[in-house]
Amino acid sequence: MQNQTDPDAAIGIETETETETDRGIDTAVETEVRFYPARRTVSPPAPHPAPHTLVQADRVHKSVYTDPEIFELEMDRVYGQAWLYVGHESQVPGTGDYLTTRLGREPVVMLRHSDGVVHVLYNRCPHKGAKIVPDGSGSAGKFLRCLYHGWTFKCDGSLLSVPLRSGYEDTAMDLKDRGNGVRKVARVATYRGFVFASLAAEGPDLPEFLGGVATSLDNFCDRAPGGEVEVAGGVQRVVQRNNWKIFFENLHDTIHAVATHESSWRAAKEEFESMPAGTQKPFEIVIVDGNGEPLEFWEKLELKGFDGGHGYMEGIFTPPKDPVSLAYVAALEASRGAARADEILRVNRHNTIVYPSCSPHTSFQQIRVIRPLSVDRTLVEIFTFRLKGAPDATFQRALKYTNVINSPSSTVMPDDLEAYNRVQEGLGSDGGDWVSLHRAAGREQVVPGGRSANGNSEMPMRNMFRAWAGYMATEPTKQGLLSESPEANA
Amino acid sequence: MNFNDWQEQQHITQFLHHEARLLDEHRWAEWMDLFTPDGLYWMPLVRGQTDHLNHASLFCDDALLRSMRVRRLSQVRAYSQQPATRTSHVIGNVALESREADGCTVYSTFHLLEWRKDAQRAFGGSVRHTLQRDGDSFRIHMKRVDLLNCEAPHEALEVFM
Repeated sequence: MQNQTDPDAAIGIETETETETDRGIDTAVETEVRFYPARRTVSPPAPHPAPHTLVQADRVHKSVYTDPEIFELEMDRVYGQAWLYVGHESQVPGTGDYLTTRLGREPVVMLRHSDGVVHVLYNRCPHKGAKIVPDGSGSAGKFLRCLYHGWTFKCDGSLLSVPLRSGYEDTAMDLKDRGNGVRKVARVATYRGFVFASLAAEGPDLPEFLGGVATSLDNFCDRAPGGEVEVAGGVQRVVQRNNWKIFFENLHDTIHAVATHESSWRAAKEEFESMPAGTQKPFEIVIVDGNGEPLEFWEKLELKGFDGGHGYMEGIFTPPKDPVSLAYVAALEASRGAARADEILRVNRHNTIVYPSCSPHTSFQQIRVIRPLSVDRTLVEIFTFRLKGAPDATFQRALKYTNVINSPSSTVMPDDLEAYNRVQEGLGSDGGDWVSLHRAAGREQVVPGGRSANGNSEMPMRNMFRAWAGYMATEPTKQGLLSESPEANA
Repeated sequence: MNFNDWQEQQHITQFLHHEARLLDEHRWAEWMDLFTPDGLYWMPLVRGQTDHLNHASLFCDDALLRSMRVRRLSQVRAYSQQPATRTSHVIGNVALESREADGCTVYSTFHLLEWRKDAQRAFGGSVRHTLQRDGDSFRIHMKRVDLLNCEAPHEALEVFM
């Protein structure tokens, strides 16, 4: 006699005849376990070392790049607390315009409400959980409507209507409760049009979080003769087979350039040598052969590291004197006066790091947004900006920089991706346990709000790991998600 | 628009097959010689893209950038080409889109397998060749490759498709 509720019976295995009901739910669970024998062999996980012990002053344990559990903890504690770059206000110009993205593990949507305020909501219907807005960007119209059962919401997430309203009378579901709308991320704030969000209810406000790196965002906008920037020209997306931190570290790793990029800087030099004598070096060659500069060149550059892991690297390209550059400078001077224009252009920076979510490049008007996908996969999205009031050729040059340096088909980046991937694979081996960050350790100058170092120092990596260890030692507070928090859209 | 006759169809189709074969066999110098000096190799970033100057692209290689890319692929220390990318094109649906006094625009579709290291990728899409007559053959004024998944996130795209 077979028991129809016993899963063993369902696949024809002989079992005892006692019924599940007789034995109670505990036995039913046991039966389930017997049906999936693999589960029995799982032993309790070994206690994980405290994350901060994985980071020392001048080295880090390899597991911070390779351990999936550390990655999950990072999503909770680093991405779950820090202010993360969401997008730029110009990407949602009108009511109902939206843009989806991921903040850590969370699918979110940035959209503009009828009162002009930009909101960031979890892209999840409060009814059955469907992602309300399709991935990408577009216009939702005057309100959001879930595809599954037609619940509708205002563009600030509040519940507008549900079908069969009478069905909810005398139930525990209060349709007037704001908490039954689309959940807002805990905090949203804008800095000069750049929209940031934090998944944690508590923590420093955005200006305090940015600290000294806000000067890069200022300069990003100040370079526009009209004082404002807007996203334009599409978004390039590159998938990297490496941990997200490897990419961040490389942004200020000056001495990799001459080694890793030998193929492209040699190609650029050969290309220029093949041109007739007296040819002005084309922009495309300037931005590629610069990686071939000797280590002494990089040593002279200043690296700045701010609290919170942020930082910037001094510019590597001397402001060019070609017609495109001169026309731009003239437009800036006409709008701001020569003295102010000079002051703005003297702030000459290469990659900036706003840890842990983006890297603006102030002189070529792009922001690379870093979205970790898993412990060994990272998505980088590249947005190019138009300087309002600048000639079209300035924007076209920014796009050329993006195409040549950062696009999937870049002449330069494939060797970076190869290096990142070989690091990722090498770190998975038993060939060593620690990653060295010793170069010029202890030689950085302490400056207000951070540290300063010579260009070949590994200070930026140490600075990022300082912030990382701080986040990882702190449990985030997730609350206040339901109502408008006072900091919203400050 | 129809081909004038089977000979014209054969002539143009053979040109496309030859061009693809040069790519698959890494005969980069011969491939670059197929372009006019102002010729453009363009792979738009989004479907229906009309502008390569005011919008980002997946590839936007003029003569200088084609040459620089080829020089890089040939370097001993092109680490991302250890091993080198291999490709295999299949071209079909060749059709004449328009005929001008000195050339024509040709539509075709392609399937492309690409292999490097541990990954074989499949690409596909359509191509528009704007061809200029050059003696018995043609030169490419524009090769526009519309990748089926142009908007998708990509790993490195190192070689011409």
